[in-house]
Amino acid sequence: MRGSEAGYRLVAVPSSEPATHTQPAARAGRSASPVSYVGATKRYGPGPPAVDHLDLEVPAGEICVLVGPSGCGKTTAMRMVNRTVELSEGDVLIGDESVRERDPARLRREIGYVIQQVGLFPHRTVAQNIAAVPELLGWEKDRIRARTAELLELIGLDPELGSRYPAQLSGGQQQRVGVARALAADPLVMLMDEPFGAIDPINRERLQNEFLRLQSELRKTVLFVTHDIDEAIKMGDRIAVMREGGRLEQYATPAELLMAPATPFVEDFVGADRALKRLALMRVADVDLWQPATARAGEACAEVRARLAMPDVDVPFPLLLDAAGRPLGWLSERDLAAATVPEQPDSPLGPLLETDDVLRDALADMLQAGAQYAAVADPQGRLAGVLSFEVISDFLGSARAHAPLPRPAEAAPAAPAPPRGGRP
Amino acid sequence: MIAPAAIALAGAVDEGFFRDRSSDTLACEARPDEVFCFGWARENIDRFLTPTLEHLEMVVASVAAGFVVAFALALLAHRRGWLRPPLLAATGVLYTIPSLALFFLLLPLTGLGRTTAIVVLAAYTLQIIYRNTIIGLANVPAATKDAARGMGYTERQVLWRVELPLALPEIVAGLRVATVSTVALATLAVFVGAGGLGTQIYGGGNLTFPTSVLIAAAIVILMALVLEAALLLAQRRLTPWRRARAS
Repeated sequence: MRGSEAGYRLVAVPSSEPATHTQPAARAGRSASPVSYVGATKRYGPGPPAVDHLDLEVPAGEICVLVGPSGCGKTTAMRMVNRTVELSEGDVLIGDESVRERDPARLRREIGYVIQQVGLFPHRTVAQNIAAVPELLGWEKDRIRARTAELLELIGLDPELGSRYPAQLSGGQQQRVGVARALAADPLVMLMDEPFGAIDPINRERLQNEFLRLQSELRKTVLFVTHDIDEAIKMGDRIAVMREGGRLEQYATPAELLMAPATPFVEDFVGADRALKRLALMRVADVDLWQPATARAGEACAEVRARLAMPDVDVPFPLLLDAAGRPLGWLSERDLAAATVPEQPDSPLGPLLETDDVLRDALADMLQAGAQYAAVADPQGRLAGVLSFEVISDFLGSARAHAPLPRPAEAAPAAPAPPRGGRP
Repeated sequence: MIAPAAIALAGAVDEGFFRDRSSDTLACEARPDEVFCFGWARENIDRFLTPTLEHLEMVVASVAAGFVVAFALALLAHRRGWLRPPLLAATGVLYTIPSLALFFLLLPLTGLGRTTAIVVLAAYTLQIIYRNTIIGLANVPAATKDAARGMGYTERQVLWRVELPLALPEIVAGLRVATVSTVALATLAVFVGAGGLGTQIYGGGNLTFPTSVLIAAAIVILMALVLEAALLLAQRRLTPWRRARAS
């Protein structure tokens, strides 16, 4: 039983099970299906169509965000997949099967469906809500119970809440249950219509991150509708920008979209701050960090000065490391005037970044601290390099975010400063 | 119109309540200031049992029949939206016909007896049950229905597993109002010879002897309260989610 259930197990269950059953590949359950729009069109009466000859390929296991202003047909396009909107023309394929040939109710039971207002059944408990589709599919009671418990755990909800009614949950908890309900029968495709639109900003971000974490395990094919370009950039493996009249303006990865908007409409829609938005897509590890001169306690200062004078050193102050290579602080002129490097640096370290930090957050930390440089540590805490405003602006100016950054021609700034350091 | 009424009254008289009561009032005539004659009440309380049971049967049968018809009409109107206003108007017109007139109107068709009473009483419940069922179904959140359809509920499943359970409080509220008004209205059934507690109220036409009227009225009120409470209790048991709120 354990073995046959493994296909539906999404979460690691602490048990004596062989490790392979709890690895992501085994937990991913059924495979996801690609979704293809082929000239998909929806007309409501005369006038311009709501969706106009849409061609779109969503690879299996990816999140495709449909984004655009209201009235651009993004929700209509999404609803074509489960036939809650009927196609006027063209086709939508799940795998290689046309949705037009499927019985709508049966088709929908294979597709997860999450909407902004959640739409939980107020008269059924949380557990009964999650069990809705398995019940429709006629699963046995034991299997439904096991699956419900598993999903409550997956979305991080106290199992006790399973017997509550939706009205007894917070908005964020309700939306988690909505996601669990959509995942219950291990669907091939998930449709999510502004799922986090009605949630306050703090909880929205939390839910977004939780969903991305889930998705990294489950690898569903997701069609995600939003009007919020920032959410699109955050959630999407690919983004389809649509405009009024149901026309597809651009279909690209978030980075491509920000770097090379295909039309003036897309450029306008992604916003004048698209350079900044690109920072949200990159991590500190993605840019070429500067390598500072380093020093350890007890070393001769003359040696350190010699390192500082090397041509490829861009930071005018040496960084003091401990024995394990972890940065401790910046050495000042006064420190270097002594014979040997002191144990305590004159200037504190200031913000310490990690290679995993999102570049936008790293920049925010530096601005917050008033620092021009910030040391970056690798996951073990050892120095990985130094991030500076120059590194960031060079990155933003570069044609491709991934391209190696040219070293600045100009010298390092005249007044560098780890912050509040009482630098002489 | 007058002829059937006379027949009806005669029917009631023939059943003997008038005669019996007038003889029994003698006991109270010694003290004419007494509004309620306890001595008579003690000796004659058993004569209310049969009319009470008749009354209850009549109420239950009428509300049940009214519910079946009104519920079916409401489901029909729910499916075909254009039917909603005409059906509301039709049940509304029925409701505005004076009740006595309706009883007598039906006499030529269904004759004296229970059938006529039940048909008339049921007709008066249609409006409230129909309207409340429609309102209950209309109040089901659109998002809940959208989610249900999007998950693969068929239209029938949406109706029976989502819409009707959620409309239950309004439907039962309609039943409660219908039941209470039917309990009161059923006292008129005596005029078509259908018995019930009306026999103890209008049967003698002797309003100088109010003891019997008062007892019958008390039973009518009690029956209304008990039936309403029973329905309320049933509704609470059937809709536990209504009392579940964030703790």
